[in-house]
Amino acid sequence: RIMPVRWNRYDPSYLEPEVKKESYQRPLEELTEEEREQMELKAVRLIKAAPPTLSSSVFSDPMISKFTNMMMKSGNKVLARNLMSQTLENIKRKQLEKYHKAPENEKETIECNPYVIFHQALKNCQPIIGLSNITRGGKTYQVPVPLTDNRKRFLAMKWLITECRENKHRRTMMPEKLSQELLLAFNNEGPVIKRKHVLHKMAEANRAYAHFRWW
Amino acid sequence: TLRLICTTTTAVQKKNVGASGPEKYTEAFIKKQIEEFNLGKRHLANMMGEDPETFTQEDIDRAIAYLFPSGLFDEQARPVMKHPNEVFPEQRKIQWGEDGRPFNFLFYTGKQSYYSLMHETYEKLLNVQKHQDQLIAQDLPLQKEKRNLAGSRWLTKIELEEMLLEKVSDDDYSRFIQLLQKLVALPCADIEEKYIQKFSKEVPVQLQKVVIEPLQYDERGVAFSTGEGKRKTARATAVVYDNGTGKITVNGIDILHYFPVLQDREQLLFPFQFLGRIGKHDTVCTVSGGGRSAQAGAMRLATAKALRSFVTEKEVEFMRQAGLLTVDPRVKERKKPGQEGPRRKFTWKKR
Repeated sequence: RIMPVRWNRYDPSYLEPEVKKESYQRPLEELTEEEREQMELKAVRLIKAAPPTLSSSVFSDPMISKFTNMMMKSGNKVLARNLMSQTLENIKRKQLEKYHKAPENEKETIECNPYVIFHQALKNCQPIIGLSNITRGGKTYQVPVPLTDNRKRFLAMKWLITECRENKHRRTMMPEKLSQELLLAFNNEGPVIKRKHVLHKMAEANRAYAHFRWW
Repeated sequence: TLRLICTTTTAVQKKNVGASGPEKYTEAFIKKQIEEFNLGKRHLANMMGEDPETFTQEDIDRAIAYLFPSGLFDEQARPVMKHPNEVFPEQRKIQWGEDGRPFNFLFYTGKQSYYSLMHETYEKLLNVQKHQDQLIAQDLPLQKEKRNLAGSRWLTKIELEEMLLEKVSDDDYSRFIQLLQKLVALPCADIEEKYIQKFSKEVPVQLQKVVIEPLQYDERGVAFSTGEGKRKTARATAVVYDNGTGKITVNGIDILHYFPVLQDREQLLFPFQFLGRIGKHDTVCTVSGGGRSAQAGAMRLATAKALRSFVTEKEVEFMRQAGLLTVDPRVKERKKPGQEGPRRKFTWKKR
């Protein structure tokens, strides 16, 4: 008997749901061949239910929900979401302060949208190449290895969170520290970017072992 | 049908022989079983007073259920009368001749049917490529008829195992499917259509035509419709009224007080926001069971189902593709014996 577990509650033929309203309002001519095939496939196949974190509103963002889940401790999603919203609020406040203080010609360059800042900061923190431990002849070498998109995003988010949890003064709150880090990362400064550069340098230094990789 | 020939060699009759795989049935034995089954079928038909010539399997099942009523819960433990081909599993013939030499050249690989299948498929692939090259050399256009992706699926691993009569590992199965996909992706794959059809199955259009209920009108003349939803253990019923202000009431309490968390309220408003009808409907819901998030999910499903009556068929299709109309089947996984939770094992102690 097959025991229904997490990954087979849904039949493998079920497809992922598409939540964004805009994708349903595009006229037929705009779509490419592949998209047309996808549409036909979707019309016939069953579709999974949308998860509770996903919604079609402007405020729900898959990247932000992933980050919130990673920040969550012991399943306390309420707290994690509150921290996240406070962080975004803090970013907005700091940017608005800068905006009002800046002279006329610089006002356009200052980015006020916290979502844009968050995405750009994450992108700046993502490493391009990673290291993996490969054991050959008893010794373990650090071999430079290309990373998948998912892995890059995960590492960027993980570094941000660990950085905020460890290197802060006892009295500073998480949203404040996170907003500071995000703004620094947005401008390509800060400890997270430094960590990324250190990783890149290590990978460059261990270039000689690159041929150990067999995948 | 493949049957194993006699196993009663002297080797098996010795007492200290190790386990020699599943029980093997001889040809003669199976033939006798089939004769007995047919005879029994005629007797049964006579007993039930029906025509023995036109006695189908369904009639047999009904007759057995009538003559041998069983209160057992497990369906497979109840008495059953089926054709021996369904009862006794298909088995492979002995793969080697009298001199001990195997028939198939791939016997010593261990997975002879799998590898011979891969060789065959690759041969077809090469054929198609050769045909393609010939067409290009003659400057003829390459035909590209689109195969209907949506209507067919490949054989599952279990079906492939049944076809080959030997175990197929997950890796091997995925390699075979990749090879088939590669074959199908080539433009001139129509030549080998017959071969490909052996491994693809028609998927009947799974979507049941859901009947959308028409709008009902209450005493004041306002149109309304009801919907039910569930998620984990929560059950919810929603009544959506037209010409409203966008208020939502749950068990007599406003949603701002019932759901203090923003995420739940977002879930409730999701169907309205998706259809662009936020300020236009009034909702009154009742919900019970489950936790905070489960109740929100159940209500989302209930409101989405209720909104189907207010909206065109195309928008209903869009809602379905956005995942608003499917019941979420995920429930809490049970705890297993020998483990602390559904996945967590007990702390491993070296001694």
